[in-house]
Amino acid sequence: MKLKVNYFAKWLLLVLATGLCGSAFAQRTISGTITDDATKEPLIGANILVVGTSTGTITDFDGKYELRLPDGATQLEISYTGYSSKTVAIGTSNVMDFTLSAGQLLDEVVVVGYGTQKQREVTGSVTSVKAEDFNGGNINDPLQLVQGKVPGLSISKIGGDPNGGSTIRLRGLSTLGANAEPLIIIDGLIGASLESVDPNDIASIDVLKDGSAAAIYGSRGSSGVILITTKKGAKGSTSVEYNAYVSSESIANQVDVASPAEFKRLRPASDRGSSTDWLDLVTRDAISHAHNIALSGGFGGTAYRASFNIRNIEGVGLGDGFRQLNGRLNLTQKALNDKLTIGVNLSATNRKATYAFREAFRYAVTYNPTAPAFFPEGSTNPLVGKYGGYYQEENFDFFNPLAIAEQSTNNGDIKELVMGARADYQLFEGFTAGVSYAVQRESEQFGSFYDKDAYFRGFNTDGSASISSNDRLNELFEITGNYTTGFGGNNVLTLLGGYSWQNNDSYSSNATNGVFISNDLSFYGLGAGQDLDRGRAALGNGRDVYKVIAFFGRVNLNIDDTYFFMASARREGSTRFGEGNKWGIFPAVSAGVTLSNLVDIAGVDNLKLRVGYGETGAIPPGSLLGQRTYVERGSFFFNGGFVPAYGPDRNPNPDLKWETKGEFNAGLDFALADSKLTGTFEYYTRSTRDFIYEVNVPVPPNQASRTWANLEDVELKNTGIELSLGYLFGNKNGVSWEPRVLFSTYSTVLDTVSVSGESKFPFFQSGGQVFNDFTSPGAPGLNNLPTMVVQGGQEIGQMWGFTFDRVGEDGSFVYKDLNGDGVITSDDQSVIGNGLPDFSLGINNSFTFGDFDFNFFLRGEFGHDLINSFRTFYEPLGSRTIENLVVTEFFNENLTATPAFNSYYVEDASFIALDNATLGYKLKLPAGGSFKSLRLYLTAQNLFFITDYSGVDPSVRYADPGGTDNGGFAGREFNPDPLYPGHDRRNNYFRTRSLIFGLNLGF
Amino acid sequence: MINKTSFFGKALLMLAFLTPFTQSCTNLDEEVYGQLTDANFPTTEEQFISALGATYTSLYGWANHNSIFSLQEIASDEMMIPHRGADWFDGGQWLRVHRHEYTKTEESINNGWGFLFGGVNNCNRVIDLFDQLVADGKVEAATAAAFIGEVKVLRALFYFWLLDAYGNVPIVSSFADAEPNPPTKSRAEVYAFIESELNANVPNLARKKDGSTYARMNYYAGKALQAKLYLNAEVYTGTAQWDAAIAACDEVVNSGAYSLESDYFTNFNTNNAGSNENIFVVPYDEQNAQGFNIAQMTLHYSSQATFKLQAQPWNGYCTLQEFYESYENSDKRKGVSGNQSIRGNFHAGPQFDADGTRTIDSGAETGDPVLDPDGQPLTFTPEINEHFPNALRQAGARVGKFQYALGATQNLSNDFPILRYSDVVLMKAEALFRKGTGDPAALVNQVRTRAGVAEFGSVTADNLLAERGREFFYEGWRRQDLIRFGKYGDARQFKPASDANKRIFPIPAQQVNANPRLVQNPGY
Repeated sequence: MKLKVNYFAKWLLLVLATGLCGSAFAQRTISGTITDDATKEPLIGANILVVGTSTGTITDFDGKYELRLPDGATQLEISYTGYSSKTVAIGTSNVMDFTLSAGQLLDEVVVVGYGTQKQREVTGSVTSVKAEDFNGGNINDPLQLVQGKVPGLSISKIGGDPNGGSTIRLRGLSTLGANAEPLIIIDGLIGASLESVDPNDIASIDVLKDGSAAAIYGSRGSSGVILITTKKGAKGSTSVEYNAYVSSESIANQVDVASPAEFKRLRPASDRGSSTDWLDLVTRDAISHAHNIALSGGFGGTAYRASFNIRNIEGVGLGDGFRQLNGRLNLTQKALNDKLTIGVNLSATNRKATYAFREAFRYAVTYNPTAPAFFPEGSTNPLVGKYGGYYQEENFDFFNPLAIAEQSTNNGDIKELVMGARADYQLFEGFTAGVSYAVQRESEQFGSFYDKDAYFRGFNTDGSASISSNDRLNELFEITGNYTTGFGGNNVLTLLGGYSWQNNDSYSSNATNGVFISNDLSFYGLGAGQDLDRGRAALGNGRDVYKVIAFFGRVNLNIDDTYFFMASARREGSTRFGEGNKWGIFPAVSAGVTLSNLVDIAGVDNLKLRVGYGETGAIPPGSLLGQRTYVERGSFFFNGGFVPAYGPDRNPNPDLKWETKGEFNAGLDFALADSKLTGTFEYYTRSTRDFIYEVNVPVPPNQASRTWANLEDVELKNTGIELSLGYLFGNKNGVSWEPRVLFSTYSTVLDTVSVSGESKFPFFQSGGQVFNDFTSPGAPGLNNLPTMVVQGGQEIGQMWGFTFDRVGEDGSFVYKDLNGDGVITSDDQSVIGNGLPDFSLGINNSFTFGDFDFNFFLRGEFGHDLINSFRTFYEPLGSRTIENLVVTEFFNENLTATPAFNSYYVEDASFIALDNATLGYKLKLPAGGSFKSLRLYLTAQNLFFITDYSGVDPSVRYADPGGTDNGGFAGREFNPDPLYPGHDRRNNYFRTRSLIFGLNLGF
Repeated sequence: MINKTSFFGKALLMLAFLTPFTQSCTNLDEEVYGQLTDANFPTTEEQFISALGATYTSLYGWANHNSIFSLQEIASDEMMIPHRGADWFDGGQWLRVHRHEYTKTEESINNGWGFLFGGVNNCNRVIDLFDQLVADGKVEAATAAAFIGEVKVLRALFYFWLLDAYGNVPIVSSFADAEPNPPTKSRAEVYAFIESELNANVPNLARKKDGSTYARMNYYAGKALQAKLYLNAEVYTGTAQWDAAIAACDEVVNSGAYSLESDYFTNFNTNNAGSNENIFVVPYDEQNAQGFNIAQMTLHYSSQATFKLQAQPWNGYCTLQEFYESYENSDKRKGVSGNQSIRGNFHAGPQFDADGTRTIDSGAETGDPVLDPDGQPLTFTPEINEHFPNALRQAGARVGKFQYALGATQNLSNDFPILRYSDVVLMKAEALFRKGTGDPAALVNQVRTRAGVAEFGSVTADNLLAERGREFFYEGWRRQDLIRFGKYGDARQFKPASDANKRIFPIPAQQVNANPRLVQNPGY
């Protein structure tokens, strides 16, 4: 402690000295060449940095550099991507040549939040994926770039909807609902929108996986943190890059249904006389293209990168897709003798989207294959003129899919603007103070319209339109101080302190109207609808403002590049917490030791052991949840007219606070056999408590039946291991093969916690089981049949029901009599599946042979089950006769019972998929020509899935939105429940396959 | 240059070390936009009335599907939901309810409990709120007393339904002092509580019948409710209260405030607020008081075209053939098969679109030569081929009692009568009949004459129960009536005989789990 005080006194002196003495001493310039240790080739663009300053330069085409040394410079750090960096003392000579050796990844820079570290210094569990290792192909969602590349990070995207997002889980579930997805940070902006960045502009994606690494982000770090860093300009030559691809995409898989001929045989009474391939009618081969042009470079104290992206993406669904323009400018300028660095970054995105109606896919499966798309000429059917000529039958949950695709419109117009500025000033050697301010502005406008003569969501409304808009502001102001000093030989101490103030302000509005004179009014003539006069229009809006304020600090210690130590704490508060619990503290410690520096083991080039523990949190998902709010409860007939009646919507809870997750992580990094075999092994165990949950409470004593509270009687326990193992065969510059295997497994158990006295907010009522009705398959006929259960002390994701034994003589389901009492009762129900995988696998293979490169990536999930909804509803012959039959390998003509849910419809959905295969060729260009490089590539995406699952997409369903019918919306459509994974619902976009041809051109 | 550097350095230092500690930079007060919280509600008289209104709006869930009302109907002999192919199975709930095989885990049984205790709790909360407003000097004590008395009678209605459906339930009469886990009280205790509440508060209710008391608890609504309580007293307590029932009915009859409408359907039309017969209603309204969706519950998918409905019906609820046939064809209440434009309690026979063409059910089952000789054209047959699993899509006469306005949304605007003058007349007739005094036939014949059917020479238990059935079809009283007449457990179509325990529903399992002091009803 005494030492620290002394250091501080020294800083203060230095501050004074810097201020007073300024440039009192003469400076000198050094120069030299940097070459490869082995090949003696000059290294172009290698970095030379004066340690403890931001002063540095990079080498030119001949590997030469020139650097003006600032006052007091004592050490230089030399680094180059893919090479080990080194730190050397500055001697008296003005010419300094260096050599660097290739092969070790230990000096790769890893972004860790409020700074970077070298891979060898990292003590938490952090996985960094650089642009060159990203997934290729037609990728529009940034996180798809690293799908399968980060052990423990699951990214599940169902089907090929170009506008559809993915569900993201890091090391499984960490919450019961508050915020199950990782915190996204783009260039330091906490809670940034993924839509504000184009995949082409991303330099790296770093994932802070464990608690010790994520704790610096405090109350929002529980589900992990994903840091996205965009590409920056570098000093040196200017470059222009042009990247483009064109892709062709088609349906890769479909639900197996009866052909028109089979249908006629099985459902003779429902023969409508035609033959229609509905799926073919509502889908197409989609052609997409994307272009990226980027200018970058640096001169003097300036570095810049400007890029422009165009994406014109079609989906395989009729008419869906988007057009996106994105521009980005990253600019840095050094000033004041290179002591001051000012950076400005701007990004603007403009996206116009046409959304798919997943119902078109759904009803393409179930619609009668003998029905025509349109009523034939001369038809006497009374509905001939009613629905715009489209063939329709007025049945519950039964819509002509082509009419859905063509008579419904759902568009979005999304604008994203990010403006940020950052200034870092080196107050004295080793100490840099930084201040940053960034604003993200998102503006979304959505409009939908259902035609006058539409049956789907139209019925007799005679045209129905709605618009909605969201406007979100996310502003972040941060101050940091960073001090780095060497001491006592080869030891480095780094201190970080900071303050963070963040304000989120969202405004939303929506309006609905109906009965229009013309379809041409669409949702732009909203006021013209006559429902407004009839009191049937709807209006709504709202505003939600919340702040998150934090103070944070971190200490990093590097002893002789062998022992590493980190401790951090973030004291953070949010307006969303209750009055009595505004501030929480999120601490972390971790340490690492490079064993290979201590003992010499033959064949071992690097062996590092890391351990860490950290606490993170999650904040309530909305504002005012800790306060009582009053909402309109219908209108009250008072003195001859209606007056609105207001009642409490929820009870106040001044104690509402953050969820807390404590996580222990141990890791081992290793490099063997001349660093050809490299890998990382991680083990973690974590426990999350105090879940923020909307609890049903008894009324009375409460006023309302709902309270947002922290659950006391349950905790989530996750334990898992992750392994990444790679080997380099051959030589990267000649012929090589580099396979890398990623493996991860975890279990998520919802454990009960004994609470002293009676729990005020219990999750489990007596019985220790929770069934939620919205997990029922739904209508027609399968409501009130929960398919999943949550049981105390057991893994989450359990499916529940009868065990199918065989088809009875009478065509019924015969269930197993599990308790052997001779009758089938509800006591014969049991766990019949689990929606979460046992383990995940990623296998990457990179080949180079001269100017060719080839890469293919296999991804698999194993051991999870899916409830196949299409089969449940439409496979038994006792299903409604109007619908087509699902005819998979399980189809049994003897099964004439009406549909029911049981183990027959729970299928193992383990799969391995060829996500991506790319063949590239670098053209030899004449030296001195106008083009520097040209690479052509061909990518196949989602080439195949190997699986026993009979549905369209075996991907894990991490959360359940609930069932939906008759054109309605599922109960939790926009807030799917993470406690019930594994239900493959009927409203899904289908899986697609793409072929992409692209080029990368540099000049 | 030197000055600039040092200025900038100092400025940064200032920022770095001073800013965080100023108030605004650590302020975490929540900002409220567009919402009402304890900080701003209720503070004005208009808002007090708005808060009071939440007691009555608790009633709006009454006539919805999967509710206490659904239970009262489906468990009786006037209504059922057959399992139509793959549709309407829903875990077998509606089969079990009709067959009196309901279990403590039925969703509707828990929904019913939630609806009724929700109403009780809202009443208690508002009583507490007005006590508080008086204490704070914001409302005059006399004004508050009038409101509180009225709310207590409304609470007695919710308790009456609880008494009738679940029998033994906790009594929660105060909001502020409510126990966390209130214990079960016997049916007799619950009866006594309701009786004393009505005796104490009904006399103070307004004896007016105008816009200020419409859809509110006035004196006559209170008396009609008392009559209901006393008429069923023997079922609830073992002791009959025929005289008390007659006295309560007389208060309504002798006031002259209400009378039988000449047209039965005036009481059930879309605009029925002018009915002189409806004493207490749930004032359903397409916009303001949503929750009445019988058109969805009963009509066939294709019936949408008959009434130009804004949403597609679900093809569920229908009546039993025997019940349909308990009406003579000349009974004006029955309706005319195949003619939707003439009002009737039922829609039966061939169906037509609003433009007069035959309604088509393209999903109709293969023509059954007996039950469905015409195939796809939609014809509601009074016959129901089976309960489970393959009832025909068009089987069963549908509810037509409440007018379906052309172009109606899912929320009908017809006010739902809970207490009706003709019920008071028939209650008095029944009490006289049970006592064996007076002229019950004269009273019953008032109702029969209006329906256009021959007068009864004398009243018997059977013809009185049947008359009540015809008159109050789909008004939620049939289960209670069957129990009072001892017919509830009888075997009937699609239902075997059931034991006496089934006369009250089980306490929902979820509630017993949440409150260990609740006692399950016998037989469950």
